[in-house]
Amino acid sequence: MTKTPYVLIVEDDEWLAQQHQRMLEAAGIRSEYVAHALAAIDAIDAVRPDALVLDVLLAGPNAFTLLHELQSHSDLAGIPVIFCTNSADELTPEDVALYGVRYILDKTTMLPGDLVACVKKVLP
Amino acid sequence: MQGSKGQSEIRQDGLPFGDLSLLVTAAHELKAPLSLVRQLSLSLESSGLSASERDRLVHQITLTSERALRLTTDLTRATRLEDSLFDLEPVNPQQICEEVAHELRPLYAARGREIRVVSRYRPVLAVANKDLLRRIMLNFGDNALHYGESEHPVELHTRLYDGGTKIRMGVRDYGPAVPADVWRRLQSHIGTDTQLLHARPQSSGLGLYVAGQFASVMDGQIGATRHRDGATFYVDLSASTQLSLL
Repeated sequence: MTKTPYVLIVEDDEWLAQQHQRMLEAAGIRSEYVAHALAAIDAIDAVRPDALVLDVLLAGPNAFTLLHELQSHSDLAGIPVIFCTNSADELTPEDVALYGVRYILDKTTMLPGDLVACVKKVLP
Repeated sequence: MQGSKGQSEIRQDGLPFGDLSLLVTAAHELKAPLSLVRQLSLSLESSGLSASERDRLVHQITLTSERALRLTTDLTRATRLEDSLFDLEPVNPQQICEEVAHELRPLYAARGREIRVVSRYRPVLAVANKDLLRRIMLNFGDNALHYGESEHPVELHTRLYDGGTKIRMGVRDYGPAVPADVWRRLQSHIGTDTQLLHARPQSSGLGLYVAGQFASVMDGQIGATRHRDGATFYVDLSASTQLSLL
């Protein structure tokens, strides 16, 4: 039986997180969202996601703190990450590739289908 | 009575800091609500939405736009402080808190949050400009919205201190503690710089800067207290002696 892919969304704007979740679920991708990095670590401990959709600036520890933590665990370091941020113009794919970031989506220009397209590309 | 005119940081052309940092910060801060409005609008175009979902999205767009507009209105006002005189008068802080809570309550409710006024027993009056004071508290309330646990309301409160000569009006939130190093940076810049508080990305550094400018016009100042479970942003003002003379 094929396992339904599961994506964890880390986004501190609940309304935007709900939009992401709606898009993913319409595409048959199960997802949950959490608001900050500490909650993300708990969620990842509970269920290892197939991909992570991650805002960069978060309340408390930011996305890079979370990624450092994931990189320190061999079983979690390989989780593909998609950045979804308003700060996309301050990041380059080369800078963040080491953290497992496969795509950078710019919230100011992305279209609703972009997130689903990126997630589908990184799913195993 | 009138508040002191202008601030030393404001240039004649109205740009604080003598450079473009305010504009850059304003542009950066408006990105978040604008991109959210855009995403919500795009979602409205998609098929398969129920009537209630559409209503919810429209409501979210309205509230997000209003928050962004509050910031732009404050910004406009802050850059015109040089040219303006602001009447100071005895103002009831409790009433301001009630008005601010009333104005923010729909936004809080839509986010599943609650805002409330902590009642006080002894009436106090502050020497302030009512509109500027209201804008300061709206700023604090906007900032507090995104931090804290949904089951714990954000609280607006007023108290006397310094032997009853000063009034502190604060907005207390309950949420993840801000790291100590970030807090130290905030404390050294609060109200004088537009830097974002990175551990609270949806906080408005610009909003705090503007609040600091407004407070200064009323011979007051803003500040913040870090708690183990959140923070209080406050404005200190002189207490009016009017009531004590009665």
